[in-house]
Amino acid sequence: MTWLKLVEGYMPMQMISELALSVLIFCLVNWTLKRAGMGISSFWAAIGIWAFIVTYLTYRIYPPIPFSVRAIYGTVSACGLFMWVSGSQGAWEEFKRPIFNVMDGISGFHKAIRVVALILIPLGLGGFAFKSFLPSFEEPIELRTVHPAPPATTKVHGKTFVLQTSANPFRVNKEGKYDQAFSNERIVEQSMGRLMKDVNDPNFNPWDPNAEGYTKYVREGGEIFYQNCHFCHGDNLNGRGLWAYAFNPIPANFTDAGTIAQLQETFVFWRVSKGGIGLPGEGFPWASVMPPWEQHLTVDEIWKVVMFEYWHTGYYPRTWD
Amino acid sequence: MGRLNDGQARKKFLAVAGLFAMGAMLVLPIFAALPAALAGGGGGSAGGPPPEVLAAQKAAAAAAAASGEGVEGEKVEVGRDVYYKTEGPVVGAPAPKTADTSEFYPRYNFESRVLLWVANQQHLYYGSFVLAVPIFCMCVEFAGMVSKDKAMAKKYDQLAYDFIKISLTAYSLTAILGGILIFTFLTLYPSFFGYLSSIFRPVMHIYALMFVAESGVLYIYYYGWDKMREGVMKWIHLSMCVVLNVIGTVLMFLANSWIAFMMSPAGVDEQGRYLGNIWHVLHTALWNPLNVHRILGNMAFGGGVVAAYAAYRFLSAKTDEERAHYDWMGYIAMSLGVAFLIPLPFAGYWLMREVYAYRQQMGITLMGGLLAWLFIIQATMIGILFLTTNYYLWQALGRMSGGERFQKYIKYFVFILVVGLLVFITPHTIVMTPAELKAMGGQQHPVLGNYGVMSAKNGGINAIIMTTIASFIWYQRGNKMPAVSWSSFGNIFLITFFVVAHVNNIWVACYGYFIPANVRIGLSIPQVAGTLSCLFIGTTINLMMLKGAKEIGPIQYGKIAPRSQYALIMLATAFTWMMGLMGYIRSSVRLFWHVNEIMRDNSPWAYTHTIGFAANVISFNVLFFWISIMFVFWLGTLGMKKAPVAVKEPVQAIPSAQPAGGS
Repeated sequence: MTWLKLVEGYMPMQMISELALSVLIFCLVNWTLKRAGMGISSFWAAIGIWAFIVTYLTYRIYPPIPFSVRAIYGTVSACGLFMWVSGSQGAWEEFKRPIFNVMDGISGFHKAIRVVALILIPLGLGGFAFKSFLPSFEEPIELRTVHPAPPATTKVHGKTFVLQTSANPFRVNKEGKYDQAFSNERIVEQSMGRLMKDVNDPNFNPWDPNAEGYTKYVREGGEIFYQNCHFCHGDNLNGRGLWAYAFNPIPANFTDAGTIAQLQETFVFWRVSKGGIGLPGEGFPWASVMPPWEQHLTVDEIWKVVMFEYWHTGYYPRTWD
Repeated sequence: MGRLNDGQARKKFLAVAGLFAMGAMLVLPIFAALPAALAGGGGGSAGGPPPEVLAAQKAAAAAAAASGEGVEGEKVEVGRDVYYKTEGPVVGAPAPKTADTSEFYPRYNFESRVLLWVANQQHLYYGSFVLAVPIFCMCVEFAGMVSKDKAMAKKYDQLAYDFIKISLTAYSLTAILGGILIFTFLTLYPSFFGYLSSIFRPVMHIYALMFVAESGVLYIYYYGWDKMREGVMKWIHLSMCVVLNVIGTVLMFLANSWIAFMMSPAGVDEQGRYLGNIWHVLHTALWNPLNVHRILGNMAFGGGVVAAYAAYRFLSAKTDEERAHYDWMGYIAMSLGVAFLIPLPFAGYWLMREVYAYRQQMGITLMGGLLAWLFIIQATMIGILFLTTNYYLWQALGRMSGGERFQKYIKYFVFILVVGLLVFITPHTIVMTPAELKAMGGQQHPVLGNYGVMSAKNGGINAIIMTTIASFIWYQRGNKMPAVSWSSFGNIFLITFFVVAHVNNIWVACYGYFIPANVRIGLSIPQVAGTLSCLFIGTTINLMMLKGAKEIGPIQYGKIAPRSQYALIMLATAFTWMMGLMGYIRSSVRLFWHVNEIMRDNSPWAYTHTIGFAANVISFNVLFFWISIMFVFWLGTLGMKKAPVAVKEPVQAIPSAQPAGGS
């Protein structure tokens, strides 16, 4: 469906709103039809709504939703519809009527449906069983731990960092003191199309030659990123780099709310330093080919590149204060 | 009250004296332990070192004296508390360094951990049940005593008696299972249990004494029911139930301190040596959040089990009277259970917050890493609990005239519940094939990925809870029409209040994506505040509006669809399964530690089970519990002398029986 786009930044609410609006329109139409004596019975209404939800989730949402999530959504929707059709005794009787009509074969038409159902249902179940026994050539499902728990401390270039308490030494104000609020003010506004707040102000534009403190270090982090990281993580930090599709899974998308936005800066520092090879046992199946960057970058360079990633995506690292 | 004769007066005096004696006996062990505890331990009464350590210390001192070190040898070694960072004298042995041998881990040809898991879980199920039921009993007995309606008072009294009768058989089973658990620990994990008991020695003794006291109070309470039926004796009888519950709660807190110590040890140094301060060992980082979470969880679980019992009796009832009684019993038990279910997610949130504050990696392992998928299953179970509760209440509207007014709006509630649940259970780590992963273009889905994080999930669960509260308000109104002069204003106010609370909830859930994470965490406060306001203000205003309300028709207990009773059984099963799951998660988060960062688990089973295996063991535990509790229920029916009290008068909706806010 290309004529109605999912608007970036508003997609989650858009999906819920579209579903709500569709169901509401359906209910309104049915209510109007019922007043005119032509309403759809709750049996067919429930089946129709469920089929709509499944179709919507399968074909409307792009990129495609994995089957496991669609199965969860389909089951919950079916439970919800069951609650609706059996919420009161009257509604339950109305819902059951077409089923009993077919089972009782109250007319020739119903008898024909009963015969068809008695043939199709065993055939369907048999087909399902047959299919489940067929050999599958698909790669098996992997339940991957995306954010394995970090160790309490990590040693990089001979220095030990306590992950719970360490701070990025370059997240500083003009006086050179650690200042989270100062750096937060200078972060790009993601919701406004990832724009800098004031391109002409060296306090906000890292590429201004007069930039100093936090902003200057962001530029240095950016230089490191574009020399080393963007080939995989992409020039927009969205995991779509030149080499990204050579890997399975593809590299992390930092613009997603579920990656660096969820993590402490020290967690990212640890992951960048140790790479895929340094993943703990919990990180099974260790599906990451990221090099241990401590072998190529200094501690300062790693901190700077981490800070750049947060600046560019507009996310704030998680803190515990 | 008439004048008492001498015999009655003497009996009452003896009863009161007996109660005081019981109270004194209860606090005696605490007083006995206080001096040593205040003195910072030492000796055998306050967690001092085991005899072998004392002997070793004496021998070392003697050796030092013999070698000429003299007074210098008496210097006490000082250790640093791993959590409180205070210094204290080392009075305990270090945590044993175990190896995968039969000396440390004697075993059958089976996984010892699973045997311990089953023993522990069964003991916990029964323990929770026997702790929760007396609390219900207390509430119901009190409701009966203050009820002005004689028939209702009698009915409540009978219900409370039914509750405690079920609990009595379960109490014996709890003690038996506790014994099995200790034997399992001693025979399969002797080193670990030896270490734990060397730290908690005085606490374990107090625990045992409290258990004796609880048994005494419980038996007097139960067997004295008929003798203490009237006047002041009834109040003494109720007071005994209060004492019973206080002891039960303290017992649970003490047992919680052991598991809290295993997760977040304190009061020991880095080698695990006890530093003489028993309060530090008890009062660890996670003790209080666990206490609160467990007491609420036990209550919800107990309510669920009693409701399932009532549902089973309803479905197998032969007469209308029986059906009416068990329908009513199921409703009361369900209401009490759900009253504690509603604050449970908030207590869970506090616990998780404290876990993150204690160890970030522990929090990530739980909610973002290795165990994250189990939390999705937990979210699904929570959703099932709330949806089932709503469903039961909608069915219950059918047994009162006037309830049908609300049933036509069910579809809108269903929509909010389903959307809330879909958001709440969307996984952050999605299960998918590599082909799906490639098609999706990354680990996170650009649309659904946003539902997978906390900001949206808080919105989802709060929407579900608020809808459940609205269903309760419907139920309270079921057969009543407000008669107060300001009823129109009240209705508009209530609707506006709920709409504003929902809008606030959704707005905050969306806004959370545009602000720093530390600020976002604080956003849960306005969300929770909105939900709690709906709970307290909404139900209070509703009750005020229902004062002197016009009754449309009676509540016809027993005239409810059987679907509602299956819903109650499902509710109880979901509680049981979720409890098993959460216990497994809480225990698994220690990974390869017996005591986190202090005593390593070197047994061959120091790995995390697959989700499928864990789910199978949890299901086995649930099945085993339900089969055994059915046996307990059956035993309860054997001793049944009389039929439930039939109430001729129409039964009113009783405010004190309503869930939180209603009483």
